[in-house]
Order: sequence, then C-alpha cells, then structure tokens
Amino acid sequence: MARVELHDIRKSFGKVEVIHGIDLTIEDGEFCVFVGPSGCGKSTLLRIISGLEEQTSGRIEIDGRDVGNLEPVERDIAMVFQSYALYPHLTVGENIGFGLSLARKPKAEIAEAVNRVAETLQLGHLLDRRPKELSGGQRQRVAIGRAIVRDPKVFLFDEPLSNLDAALRSQMRIELTDLHAQLGSTMIYVTHDQVEAMTMADKIVVLKDGAIEQVGTPMELYDKPATPFVAGFIGSPKMNLFDGDVAAQKGCEVYGIRPEHIRLTDDGDWHGRVRLVERLGADTIVHAEMETFGPMIIRTDGQSELREGREIRAAPMPEREFRFGKS
Amino acid sequence: MKRRQYVIGITALAATFVIFVLPFIFILLNASKTSQDSAALDFSLPDRWVFFENLIAVVQARDYILLLAYWNSTLITVCSVALMVIFGAMVGYILQRRHSAWNKVIFGFVLAGLMIPPAVVPTIWLLQQIGLFKTIHGMILIQCAYGLSFSVLLFRQFIGTIPRDLDEAARIDGASPLQIFFRVILPLLKPVTVTVIVVQSITVFNDFTHPLYYLPGRENVTVQLTLYNFQSQFVSQMNLLFMNILLVTIPPLIVFLFFNRQIVAGMTAGAVKG
Amino acid sequence: MRRKTPYPYWFVAPAAIIFTVLFTIPTVTSLYFALTRWDLFSQTFIGFDNFVQFFREPGLTRGLINTVIFAGLTSGLKTVLGLLLAVLLTAGIFAQGFLRAVVFFPVLVSTIGVGLTFTELMHPTDGAINMGLSFFGIDGPGWLTNPDLALISVALVDVWRGVGLATLIYIAGLASISPEYYEAARMDGATRLQQYWRVTVPLVRPATTTVILLSLIGGMRLFDLIWAMTRGGPGFSSDVLASVIYKQYQAGFYGLSTAGNVILFILIGVLVMPLVYWLNRREVDL
Ligand SMILES: Nc1ncnc2c1ncn2[C@@H]1O[C@H](COP(=O)(O)OP(=O)(O)OP(=O)(O)O)[C@@H](O)[C@H]1O
Ligand SMILES: [Mg+2]
Repeated sequence: MARVELHDIRKSFGKVEVIHGIDLTIEDGEFCVFVGPSGCGKSTLLRIISGLEEQTSGRIEIDGRDVGNLEPVERDIAMVFQSYALYPHLTVGENIGFGLSLARKPKAEIAEAVNRVAETLQLGHLLDRRPKELSGGQRQRVAIGRAIVRDPKVFLFDEPLSNLDAALRSQMRIELTDLHAQLGSTMIYVTHDQVEAMTMADKIVVLKDGAIEQVGTPMELYDKPATPFVAGFIGSPKMNLFDGDVAAQKGCEVYGIRPEHIRLTDDGDWHGRVRLVERLGADTIVHAEMETFGPMIIRTDGQSELREGREIRAAPMPEREFRFGKS
Repeated sequence: MKRRQYVIGITALAATFVIFVLPFIFILLNASKTSQDSAALDFSLPDRWVFFENLIAVVQARDYILLLAYWNSTLITVCSVALMVIFGAMVGYILQRRHSAWNKVIFGFVLAGLMIPPAVVPTIWLLQQIGLFKTIHGMILIQCAYGLSFSVLLFRQFIGTIPRDLDEAARIDGASPLQIFFRVILPLLKPVTVTVIVVQSITVFNDFTHPLYYLPGRENVTVQLTLYNFQSQFVSQMNLLFMNILLVTIPPLIVFLFFNRQIVAGMTAGAVKG
Repeated sequence: MRRKTPYPYWFVAPAAIIFTVLFTIPTVTSLYFALTRWDLFSQTFIGFDNFVQFFREPGLTRGLINTVIFAGLTSGLKTVLGLLLAVLLTAGIFAQGFLRAVVFFPVLVSTIGVGLTFTELMHPTDGAINMGLSFFGIDGPGWLTNPDLALISVALVDVWRGVGLATLIYIAGLASISPEYYEAARMDGATRLQQYWRVTVPLVRPATTTVILLSLIGGMRLFDLIWAMTRGGPGFSSDVLASVIYKQYQAGFYGLSTAGNVILFILIGVLVMPLVYWLNRREVDL
C-alpha cells in the first residue's frame, strides 16, 4: 500500500536546473529502476523522494499523502547508499538497531527486531563485528538490514551493487529480487547498469539530462524503444544505430538493428568483412566492417567458425528493424 | 656512505645533547642539591642528594600553595579544553558541511582569533562588568575563547574526511541534528579530539600571561604564576626553585611520552598545505 | 516553506557567544579606549594623544622597535635552523627519532620554567654558560645585564625553545616532497648542495610560509619569556610591546596600555597581511 507519485518535480542547484519537471507514478509493491547515464539526475531524483534533497517545485505523494515538506524519517522510507554508509564506530547489531534506538524503543524490542533481520539476511554470526571487519557483500547486507528493520513503505537504493565484484553482484541481484518478493514493498532502485535494470525491474524509468525518456517494463523497452537513446541504452551488446545516408535510404532519421537480430546467411544483402571476434562461449560477438553501413556488431552462436578477415554476408530479421523519427 | 652517516649522527647527537639536554640536566642536578650547594649554579654533582627533602619543602612552601596551584590549573585546563572540544567541533562541523556566505564570516573570525593578540585591559573591564574578573570560571571561558580558533580549524579539516553519507544515513534513521552530531560525528572525531585535547591542555597549562592579567589573587594562583613568584622568594634557595621548575616540566613530559604522535599531528596540521 | 536543515547555524552559537563576548568585543572597544585617558578613577577622550606619546617617549618607542627586531630575529633564525635541523633529522641518521624528540620537547615545556633556568645559566659571573666559555679562555658577556645584548639573549632562548616546532613543520613538509624530484635532479647532474637549493628549498615553501608566519606572530606577541628573564630591563633595553602593555597596565595607565595593544595588532596586520599575500603569490608562481 505505498504508491509513490511525482508531479512535475523540478530541482535547481543555484541557477542550473538539473531535473526538468518529472511526472511519474510508481505502483504499490513495484520494483522500479531508474537508469540513465552518469549525471542525468537519477540520484538527485531519488534523494528528492527520500527527503534528503528538497525539490524546487512539484509535489511528492506517498500513499496519497503529500510528503514534500516532511523530514525523511516522517516519510516512512528507508535508503541504501552506494557507499553503504555504515556507522564505523558501531557494531553490526548497533548499526541495524540505530534508527530504533533513536526512536527510544525498548531494548528488548530493538534486540528482537535486529535478530529477526539478521536471520533474514544471514548476519546472525556477525552482529558483534564492526563494519571494517566485514567483506563488501556482508557490508551490503548490513546496509540492507538497516533499511529493512524499520519496516518502511518504500525502499530506496542508490547504486547499491556498484562497489561489488561481478560474481557477488549477480548473487546480490538475486537476493534483492528474492527480498522484494518476500517483503512485497515498493522499491526504487538507481543504477546505470542496464543488466541490473533488465533483470530486476518491474518498471524501468530511463532518464536523460534530467527528463524522462521512456517508462515501461523491461521487455517493452527492449521491444519498443521510443527513442534511439533508449534503444542504445537497453540491450547488450548495444543496438547498431545508423543515421545519415543509411537512415535516409531506409526512410527515417535513425535506423537501428540489434546485434542478435542480424542473421549471417550467404544470401544476405549486406556484405562486409570481419574485423574482430569475441568468443563468449554461448555466444560469439562479431565486429564487422560492412559496406555502406560501416562498423556493425553481430551476435551469433558460440559454435561459429568465423575468423578475422573473413568475408561475410548478413541480413536483418524481419519485424526487428527500428526506424526512428521517420518521415 | 654508511660510515659518514654514522659520523654525522654522532656529531649531531653530541651537539643536540649539549644544546637541548644539558639545561634539563642542570635543572635536575640543582633540584637535588642543598641550598648552599645550588647557589654555585654549576653542573657539579650534588654534595648530598636531597631530592626528596627538596620536593617536600617545595610542596609545603607557603602553606601548600603549590597544591592549590595544581588544583586551579588542572581545573582551568580540564574545563576550558572540554568546552573547546565540544564547541569547536560543532563550529568545524557546520563550517565543513554548509556552504554559504556566512562561512566566510565565521572563517574570518577564526583567523582573527588566531592572529590578533587579545586586548587585555578592555577584556579586564568587560570581565568586571559581567562579574567574571578574578574568577576561575571567567578564566575557563577566556581560555576557551582564545583556544577556539585552533580547535575549529583542526576539527574542520578532519570532518572533511568523514563522508556526508553518514550524516544522511543517520538522518534517514530519524536522527535530529544534535543526534547526528553527538551520536555519529563526534565519536568518529576521536583521533583529532585526542590531538586537540593534548595540544590545548599543554597550552592552557603552560599559560602565564592570561592568568597574570585576569586571575590575580592568592587563592586563584596557577602553576605558572606560583613558579614565577617563587623566583623572588627563593633567591637564596635555588634548589627549591629548580625543584619547582622540574615539577612544572614533568606533566608535559608525561603527555609527550604518551601522545607524541597526536602532538606532532596537531602542531603540523595544515603546515604542508600552507 | 523550507524544511529544517541538518546543519543548523545555532550549532555555532555557544562558540560564537563566548568568542564574541570575550574576544571580539574587547578587541573592538579597544579601538575606542585607546583614544582615552583612562585610569582607576576616570576616563576622558583625548584623541590620539596616547599614540603621540608612544612615538615620543623613548621608553615606549624602544618597545615598538624591539618588538620588530625580536620577531624578525627569532623568526629568521627559526626558519633557517629549523630547515637545517629538519634536513639533518630526515637524512636517516643514527638515533633520529630520539633527536627529533629532544629538539621538540622544549616547545612543550613551561616558558616561565625555561626563562628562569636560562636566567641562571646566563648569570654573568656564576652562570654555567660563561663558566663554560672561560674554560676555553673566552670572557663571556653579561648576557642579560648588558643593555645591548639582553634582547638578543632572550631571542636566542626563544629560538632554543621554539625551533623544535619549526623543525617539526619542516619535517612534515620534506616528507611531502616526492623523491622523484631528487631523482630527476640527480639525473640532471645536480650536486648534493644544488639539490638542496634547487629542489628542497623551493618545494618546502608552504612549510616555510607556515614557519615564518607562526614565529613572526608568536614573536610579536611574546610576553612571558621576556618577563621571566629581564622584565624588559636593564632599563627599557629589552622592552617589547607586550611588556610595555603590562607595565602601563600595572602603573594604572589603562588608556596608554590599550593604545599599546592597538599598535601591536596594527603592527601584526601591517607585517603579516602583505606577507601572507606575498608568500602565497610566490607559491602560485612556482
Ligand atoms: N549538490 C549539488 N550541487 C550542484 N550540482 C549538483 C549537486 N548534486 C548534483 N548536481 C548536478 O546534478 C546533476 C545530476 O546529478 P546526479 O548525482 O543526480 O546524477 P546521477 O544520475 O546520479 O549520476 P551518477 O550515475 O554519476 O551517480 C549533475 O549534473 C550534477 O553535477
Ligand atoms: Mg548517482
């Protein structure tokens, strides 16, 4: 029961406006991910929702209640920081229970709540350690524990996984998804990693230069990107995008085709030469230099025998071509 | 190369020893002599070691005034340094965390406090107006005022190394501004707090000038004032004078042995940056 | 309708009240009191008479000149000796840590204690220094009794007491110089001495700035050491502004004493401000 609504949110630092009027509704229980390139205003928007930063204008509602002028603690939210922001002088248990002890809850109640959370996150054996005696993943869990213990309506995450190594990151992704399923709370998650966005989100909000570019489910964004920017941002390897003459020939301003939607076939109309082959095991990524198009990335199966310098022919899969800004 | 360094080392050790250590040996020797013996003011070993007799004589002198002086000095030092730490850290915190035109104003006052010597007679006049002249608590507040600038600068510099995320996490956890400061920031300032405490304690304890002006009166004597007054009383008893000097030298020596690192950190703070 | 900031300005209030009442107000009002004839009984506005008197009466003028001499001398010696000692004490010599401690310790010792000890050591006939000199056949001077020498003797003791701090600051400054500079200089064929002049001295400039400023301000404000050693004597020969201020206060000339105070901080302003500016500019040029 925590729907977050933003109405025409604007934010200026001094004279510079960095958020240009955002309207957005995040439904109760939704896992919503903000993505976008560095500096596009993701963190700023999240901090406005949290109350750490004050919007210059606009309304924020949580559950229909206008929270725009409330302190963070009055908004019933919790936040997990990129740096974890664990209190270095407190033990894990004290870190998790800090908010409750500020609220002057009885000791027994705090201990019980801390233990319950520690159980959920498998932190039981670490409660007496200090943050600097923990691994990155464990710190991450403590930071999440500190958020869970207050049982907030909305969880806010600002790039929580970016300090972890690849293996740990994919494990934590699954844990967070599980956690979301288990708690059923509304979660807003900031990242600039599109893999995180695709795998975890119910709803993705793509931001660019302080404005929303597109909102939708991961597959909507993948299948029907509204702009070349979204098309290039979602999906890996990136969609091949062409403007100028190529696009003009296709009757549009920008023409796009995803690497996985190009078939290598001897009767293809496109020809060119392989420049580089990246073998990922299951897939092979081919970097080719094509006639008329120029550089193009093509994804093919792992068994491919292609080598550098080979002549190739290719064709787009029908229905998978994108034409943006067409006349 | 090794050999040359060794030679330079020995020479420097000898020169430093003569210049910096001999005066202390002189104090120690003369503090152990009888009064006739010490009148010669030389480096000879005492004819008779009367160290403890001298110690007792100095402590008993003038109705145990030295004990009173130690009590007063300790009281002034402890209280004024405690105020400097808390209030100085609060200013340093605001100065570091907020950015507005006021910061420049505050900073200007801090620098003025470091450079401008206090205007003594107007201060005495003012202390009289508010009834703090010749009082220990007046002296405590004065020492606090004079030491604040240095504390603020050290704290401000250190708070710059504490990530703002911690303040924000505490804010999300529902901490009020005072709670953020006292429960999150202040505990993390421990290293620099130790430095401030040590350096300022030594400064306040060794201060002679300000108690001389603001704290006259026999019942208010401080350690440095007693030492100075002993000079005229002990003209014929150099041994007791040196015993007194020795007693005044020992507290900083102990502090130095334990807190060498913090003292060095405090004294050189900002030196490299300029 | 702004929300509360987590960094409210009232945090500054306790410190601001103490500082304003006990430091700022006296400093500001001193500008007025300096223009009055003010004693135990009365207070009359007399314009700049106190300042005129300061520049007329030789005893007072002497204090002004001595302050500049004392501050210049001690600050120069502390800068030069401090750098030399710092270079010596970072060369990796034997007993380095112990030597650093020995040089630094006097900084922490009671100035009065140091002053009284050296007064006895500098006694013209019985003092250990002159006895030591006579051992080498030198007839030591009356360190503190000779009017031409008293101020310089006190200055030397102040250097003894304060050079440890300069050394410490220089050691910190030297530690921040990257060894690559020396390697580069050696590649270019610089001798040991050239390395010091061309690399060390320019690159420790921030430390030099600090040392000069600290010792200059400290030197101009110094009172306790002079009071413990000579009380400004013989005559007025070693009086400095700080001791003049105290003497006039004791004599009940509060207005004159305050004028001395104002002259002292004008002097500090006049000497230190341009120096800060100049030293900072030189740094940028580097
Ligand atoms: N406190 C501030 N003062 C002035 N400008 C700011 C402030 N905070 C952010 N900005 C500006 O606002 C814009 C958005 O910043 P924000 O931190 O929200 O970006 P982001 O999308 O989170 O980027 P990243 O992925 O690098 O974290 C940037 O151009 C930034 O320079
Ligand atoms: Mg960000």
